[in-house]
Amino acid sequence: MTGLIGPDEVRRVADAALSLPRADGVEVLFMHEWGGLTRFASSSIHQSTHREDTGIRVRVVSEGRIGVAASNDFSLEGARRAAESALEMATVVAPDALFPGLAPPVPTPEHHAFDEAAAETTPSERAESVAQLVEMCPEGFTAAGAYETLASEVAIANTDGQFCWAPSSQASVTTVVTGPDGGSGFAEVFAAGRDELDPAAVGKRAADKAVASRSPRDIDPGRYTVVLEPAAVSTLVGFLAWVGFGGRSLHEGRSCFSGKQGQQVAAPIVTIYDDALSEGTLGLPFDFEGVPRSRVDLIGDGVFLSGVYDLRTAKQAGTTTTGHALPPPNPEGPFPLNLFMAPGEAGLQDMIASTERGLLVTRFHYTNIVHPVESTITGMTRDGTFLIEDGEIAHPVKNLRFTQSIIEALQGTEMVGRDTELASEFFFSASRVPALKVSSFNFSGRSDH
Amino acid sequence: MLDVAKQAVEAARAAGADYADGRVVADDTESITVRNQEMEGIDRSTSEGLGIRVLVNGYWGFAATARQEPEEIERTAKLAVEIAKAAARLPMEPVVLAPVEPVTGTWHSPMQVDPFNVPLEEKVAMLMEATRRMQSIDGLAFGEGGIDLFRRRTFLATSEGTSIEQTTVQSGAGIEATALGDGELQRRSFPNSFRGHISAAGWEHIQKLGLIEEAERTATEAVELLSAKECPSEVTTLVLDSGQVELQIHESIGHPVELDRVLGMEEAYAGSSFVRPEDRGSLRYASPLVSITADASLAGGLGSFGWDDEGVPAQRVPILVDGVFENFISSRETASVLGLTSSGAMRADGWAHYPLIRMTNISIEPREGSLADIIGDTDDGVFMSTNTSWSIDDHRVNFQFGCEIAWRIEKGRLTTMYRNPNYTGITTEFWGSCDAVGGREDWTLWGTPNCGKGQPGQVARVGHGASPSRFRNVQLGVRG
Repeated sequence: MTGLIGPDEVRRVADAALSLPRADGVEVLFMHEWGGLTRFASSSIHQSTHREDTGIRVRVVSEGRIGVAASNDFSLEGARRAAESALEMATVVAPDALFPGLAPPVPTPEHHAFDEAAAETTPSERAESVAQLVEMCPEGFTAAGAYETLASEVAIANTDGQFCWAPSSQASVTTVVTGPDGGSGFAEVFAAGRDELDPAAVGKRAADKAVASRSPRDIDPGRYTVVLEPAAVSTLVGFLAWVGFGGRSLHEGRSCFSGKQGQQVAAPIVTIYDDALSEGTLGLPFDFEGVPRSRVDLIGDGVFLSGVYDLRTAKQAGTTTTGHALPPPNPEGPFPLNLFMAPGEAGLQDMIASTERGLLVTRFHYTNIVHPVESTITGMTRDGTFLIEDGEIAHPVKNLRFTQSIIEALQGTEMVGRDTELASEFFFSASRVPALKVSSFNFSGRSDH
Repeated sequence: MLDVAKQAVEAARAAGADYADGRVVADDTESITVRNQEMEGIDRSTSEGLGIRVLVNGYWGFAATARQEPEEIERTAKLAVEIAKAAARLPMEPVVLAPVEPVTGTWHSPMQVDPFNVPLEEKVAMLMEATRRMQSIDGLAFGEGGIDLFRRRTFLATSEGTSIEQTTVQSGAGIEATALGDGELQRRSFPNSFRGHISAAGWEHIQKLGLIEEAERTATEAVELLSAKECPSEVTTLVLDSGQVELQIHESIGHPVELDRVLGMEEAYAGSSFVRPEDRGSLRYASPLVSITADASLAGGLGSFGWDDEGVPAQRVPILVDGVFENFISSRETASVLGLTSSGAMRADGWAHYPLIRMTNISIEPREGSLADIIGDTDDGVFMSTNTSWSIDDHRVNFQFGCEIAWRIEKGRLTTMYRNPNYTGITTEFWGSCDAVGGREDWTLWGTPNCGKGQPGQVARVGHGASPSRFRNVQLGVRG
């Protein structure tokens, strides 16, 4: 099987780009990724893949002008060609007045997130894990989903002397179990290490939900108290990051938090932060400019504290980088990839038991932005939505469309779960979040299943 | 590179594959973004590699590598076979491939001027001038312009004897104006949102778009939207421009008729479909005015090719005929489940991915009249233009879309401008309410460059021809 290339060889190839003549500065972003994904549907394995790729992305600075070129030719010649192509582009553009310089040579934190077992997982091992999951389906129910093991190494080298390299791994299993009478349930787990996954437990959770969600009844749209499981909360947090936490949109007045620093924007029990170095997430110890990452408190006790920055937007906003650059060129600016919502004290059952009438939502589907400055989004419920009456689950309901301001939902948050999960959103990286109870959530339509 | 694909097939057969295809893909892209006459980003990328797909005892395996030396080809072929053998851990009905005639051939998308050979200075100058003109409008915060170029060379060999070389060049550009104020962010785009209008064509396509000529109007509308009224919440007649009809087709017709979704293969990620195999020839999907066709042979379409990634030739397939559902888009595997032949819709996102059923060019057939004619024929309603937001449920039933701008229609004329317009509906009810589809004069073959599907996630560029259309009794103005 494939293995790590390692920092020495990466540095040797990167040097072929860094030594580009006629450039004032050069930065090389190196990425190597390999892994397999076993995809299943109708309780059979129908698409299984393995892929390996290396990539180098070269940013060249010439008289304040910037050009970028990328290639998956990881060789001395490939690195040279990419650097020359980037320089060619730099020569035709105007200087970037906000160019902040390349990342300075500073050490980056030690961060061990590489699991040999995940990196070396065989197709048979993935298939066996899928079989364990599928076996949890009761008679008449089938499972669909994916079991993936990935390994990667990322490095940044620049002509100012910064060099950083880090390996990482990821293992995940996600499934939707479906059955008769519209039963549908969902579960997933993400981890850095393969042994942290329990496919049978994931299968059982989804299967139990699918059994419980059979024969859903119609319910009128309208405002309901909601108990949102972590997968649903990850949608709110992911989209809040998209419309709110980027330093560039904050500075330019496009963020829902522009001009709100120090203001109460959520209930005091809501705290959101980004921390790539935490063991509870899947993160790199440096960003894609080679700047060390550290924890950034975004919302503390309901007060908006800060956004995230890269070198350029930090210069634009008159602050310092927080280590949140994405790969260049990146017109959207910095983004938090390792979000957390701090846990509270409530259990999921506490939230249900305290709800006179409301809805329990397993997860949302295909969410999109309606009004970015108001943080309003729309999407559907999916794979298990239930009516709560008098503190108990009454019955499953058909899927509903919501159209809701995220900030308003966080302002109306009454309870925060004590357990957190690393949960993915359709479009974004996974966030570690608890369940939430929100006093009022707007459901604007319904579907037929 | 075709030799590499053939070597891959031989290696896979030697490793035990009953069927194998080898696909070498070389992708080149160029992207330029200018904002307020400043360079936001200029980059090129290249990616080349080999994907090997095999069938062993009726189970699929796929492995991909960026390296193409003989030892690596052999290693990757063996890995693909190992993956297929592992899939047998869970029993299923063995995959059967619908028949296709082996073919040897080459194909190139039509192009007059290779956009990769146009000097960078000329491209940057076009965007600089467009953003300069946008900035000349008082109250504008940002004027942005972008150009995106794609070139894909595909070399496919199969163990059935197919041997194909194809080159597709796609070019696109667009501008976007942003105005900010009083808690509002308003955008206007031209010719379409999300990077403009992309076509399987060369530089001549971008030159004809008129980015510079439309810059001031685009910016003016963005600023005017700041003080426009909110789109009212009501049930009324809705007229959509062709750009929004494009996305309406994509989400509520194109995806639901993908046969892999219908058969549950996408259940866990993007979802399935309300359409069932037995609905062919009987499901009234839309009003009799609505005929939809999947056509991979349309010149300029992002979903056009000579053959798909299984070597199935480009076809023109009726999807809806006078509103009645007739055909799915399919692969060799899924078509055989229904006893059919493939519609030729399998495409992969580059060399590293397994081909999936993807839309080709799924278009509404033009009827009669221009956009002005449809508006002129509308007594009361709302006209919406240019998509901003899309959402639809996991069976493709309940949808909600947002547009950049709308106007009231009163007695056949556009009057009050509305900001933040959106509408919602149920797929078959909505299409069933369609009582006007515009003619050829306002029919545009748009490109959707960002269609996501599959695990691992893949992005496809697909095409949709669309005319402005009218729908009755639609719920507008959904608020949070």
